[in-house]
Amino acid sequence: MIFLPMLGSLLLLVTPKRWRDEMAGLLSALTLGIGFVLWRAGGSDLLSVQWVPALGITYSTELSGVSLALAMVVAFMSFIAVLYAARRIPNPGTMLALILAMETGLIGIFAARDLVLFYVFFEDALLPSLLMLAIYGKQHRMRALVKFAAYTLFGSLLMLVSIIGIKYLGGSPTFALADLRAHVLPAGSTQTWLYVAFLTAMAVKLPLWPLHAWLPDFHEQNHDSGIPDVMGTLYKVGGYGVFTFGITLFPDASMELRPILMGLAAFTALYAAWIAFHQADWKRLLAYAGLSHMGFVALGVFSLNETAVIGAMYLLAFQNLYTGALFLGVGMLQERTGSIAVRVGGVMTQAGALGGLTLALWLASIAVPGLAGFIGEFSILLGAYQVYPWLAFLAGITTIAAAAYALTAFQHTFWQARPPGGIPVADLVHTEWLILSLPLAVAIFFGVYSAPALNLMQPAVKAVLTALGGN
Amino acid sequence: MLTTPTGTDLYALGALFPIFAVLFGALLSTLLGFWVSRRVLTYLNIGMLVLSGASMIALWNQGRAAFTQTRVLDGQSLTTASLHADNPALLLGLVIVVGSLMTLLVSLDTAWRARISFPEFDAMLMYAVTGALLMAFSGDLIVLLIGLEIMSLSGYVLSTLQDSRRAEESGLKYFLLGAVGSAILIYGIAFVYGATGTLNYAEIALRVGSVSGLLPQNTGILVGGALLVLAGFAFKIALVPFHQWTPDVYSGAPTSVSLFLSTVVKVAAFAGMLRVFSGALADAPGWASVLQILTAATLIIGNTAALLQRNFKRMLAYSAVAHTGFLAMALLGTPATGGAALTYYLLVYTLMTAAALAIVAALQRTEAGMEITDMRGLYYRHPGYAVALAICLASLAGLPPFAGFFGKYLAFQAAFQNGYVWLSVLAALTSVAALIYYLRPGMLMFMPDRTPTREYAHGQRPPTTLTVAIGVAGVTVLGLLPNLWYGWVSNPAIWQLLAGR
Repeated sequence: MIFLPMLGSLLLLVTPKRWRDEMAGLLSALTLGIGFVLWRAGGSDLLSVQWVPALGITYSTELSGVSLALAMVVAFMSFIAVLYAARRIPNPGTMLALILAMETGLIGIFAARDLVLFYVFFEDALLPSLLMLAIYGKQHRMRALVKFAAYTLFGSLLMLVSIIGIKYLGGSPTFALADLRAHVLPAGSTQTWLYVAFLTAMAVKLPLWPLHAWLPDFHEQNHDSGIPDVMGTLYKVGGYGVFTFGITLFPDASMELRPILMGLAAFTALYAAWIAFHQADWKRLLAYAGLSHMGFVALGVFSLNETAVIGAMYLLAFQNLYTGALFLGVGMLQERTGSIAVRVGGVMTQAGALGGLTLALWLASIAVPGLAGFIGEFSILLGAYQVYPWLAFLAGITTIAAAAYALTAFQHTFWQARPPGGIPVADLVHTEWLILSLPLAVAIFFGVYSAPALNLMQPAVKAVLTALGGN
Repeated sequence: MLTTPTGTDLYALGALFPIFAVLFGALLSTLLGFWVSRRVLTYLNIGMLVLSGASMIALWNQGRAAFTQTRVLDGQSLTTASLHADNPALLLGLVIVVGSLMTLLVSLDTAWRARISFPEFDAMLMYAVTGALLMAFSGDLIVLLIGLEIMSLSGYVLSTLQDSRRAEESGLKYFLLGAVGSAILIYGIAFVYGATGTLNYAEIALRVGSVSGLLPQNTGILVGGALLVLAGFAFKIALVPFHQWTPDVYSGAPTSVSLFLSTVVKVAAFAGMLRVFSGALADAPGWASVLQILTAATLIIGNTAALLQRNFKRMLAYSAVAHTGFLAMALLGTPATGGAALTYYLLVYTLMTAAALAIVAALQRTEAGMEITDMRGLYYRHPGYAVALAICLASLAGLPPFAGFFGKYLAFQAAFQNGYVWLSVLAALTSVAALIYYLRPGMLMFMPDRTPTREYAHGQRPPTTLTVAIGVAGVTVLGLLPNLWYGWVSNPAIWQLLAGR
């Protein structure tokens, strides 16, 4: 499942132009299909082979539990992105190849069970996203690009040092997660410092205030269609990284830093929602909305409470669905009105379906019960409340703020009076229906019937938290 | 002191064969230059280099040595050699051969345009390679010095060969500063001799390693000598603050010469340093803490200066300085981890730098190189070269899955495990600056651009393409399967032999 998309990406280079769309669609569908098969089988077992034996680097992968769920969402959204890219972008060969290359990196991140391998995939996912920005970005992309890369690399290189340290100081023979877990560092300042270095990388990706500044520029300067943004939102592997590697490898440090980190997370959520309220540009708004959600995820993960962590993983997985679809919706809006400004006005009168689906996705995003976002956010608040009630309350205000910014923006764009001389706006056509409604359908499905996903995640979360010695 | 020269038998000549092959090529180029065209000579020299490389592979694990001597020292007899064809020498020699081959291939295309297409170019280049190999194979300080001088003198000529103001200026600068560097190095060697009474690595290591052998009043002289040798080498590998000549020389010399200087010459100098500092002087006090500070300064200054460059060739020159910092980190590791890391990194560095400069050599309009802004839209004009250059830049920046990542990783690890934690963190931070200056041209290439082409129209030619392909394939394969090369170099046993013990 990991390398199929990469293979596809390379195949696309040799595929004749007119078959490229079909080829990319087929491969991404195939990847998703394999994901389903794995799901039915209850996840793949740990595969571990020596990679660089002299250094103790192994190639260990496993897709089960949380990682399988996240990988499935990646595969699903990549499929959607391919569908949309094929229609929207003229001559989409390069874009499709980049989407597939990125898919490999992302699934790899979730599958990796070796720290160095994790790092390799972590950086691998970076290259296609940078190329997407460079090739398809807007005028000021160079600045956004440099900012994005500088933040990301700053974090990941510190993580690299931390990785070296954790193996060497812990005395583990290899970088495989299982071996590292057996050789956890003793509690103390060394562990705390290594955790901080590791966390920096994750906090950039998550992103957590104050390391979030790359995010709005990244989204604003990306291609109007929103496809790179979809891949960008899938990029939020920070929460997962903290969950799988951070908590298990730095148990004492994560307990020690819990109040600070939870505070930061709650602040991020609220602060982002506040800023989102003032955005005049859909993409920036979505970026800050995503940031706010990620604050929630971080709150859940850092609380180290079972309910909250499960909620965080749930939110992490499904947030991608509706936020991604919303980005694509913005792309469609831009295609029709020529702008992504919030104050367009009156789109609803002509493009009812687009408006309706966007609204439904927004409702998912602001955690209306019955949609997937609700379960995640509710569990996080429930769990976090048991740890630090006040912080949970603070974060809880965010949900109200979210409703405010989302509905205000929606109202401006879709309902407010149309400006005189506005061009006619077409409604959804062909695959666009699918692109918006499929993620929505999944979000509704898991909002109503959460058992399959929860069953998948619960054992994994429990396993991770038992590493902490109970809570 | 009793010295019994045992002479050189035919068996020992095998150790010299890789060097002789190259030297033979150099002599042939000198003589045949009067009758044969330069292209023929270049093909001939490529053949010689391949032969030399093949003979190195054949010598693997044989541990041959030449010019051996048996001496009785402190009651025990010790056999030393001035020239070793041991495994570290062969590995480093192979890296040198790879870099030289790539230079020759590129020069097939660009030497004519750069107005350096004389037989003398080939002759000088092969002499320089001879010197470089001598350094890698050296068993005592004199052989090291001879190798260094042969290489440096040829290097001075190479960088002045082009009939232009810029080349003359850069050559003169290189010569003057290089001569100062050599002088300091010789002075340092004299000090080391004064402290230990010998020039042979094995004997120096023996004296330095055992407290009884090292007389207390000699310690100061030894430390002084080690530091002077370090400073001499620092000129050659361009460690800050001895780096000032590098950007001017690399950007002033013809690009194929810059390619040679920044890869082969640097590899050879590092090979020499590995021999001296991880071998002979490994246990000497003082030099490591100084090298640590120099490395930190190199990392900071090299990377920030590269960030400010507008010219791509000049930026690559500063990036070569920055990479010196990463490479020098490996020297701070233990001989086993450091030697392995350095050898791996050097090969990767050679491949990626050579491929990147080969593309510059092919596409530049003048020998001044290209401006970074000129690279906008390169992908739409020369897709193959643009992708290859992007891969090289990603590898230089240390992004996986390309081999530069493992090189950097190994260097970090070597320094980290030997206790230089703050240096590893500093290296990580400066790498961010590195990423940004590699990223800018890398991403500009992919941005659409409608203005007419700014490259030399006929730059894309088969030999250059072959060089680039070697480099790109190398960094990709070594990045995905680092064990292909690291498996060879990682054996800790071979790095105990650095001093020839």
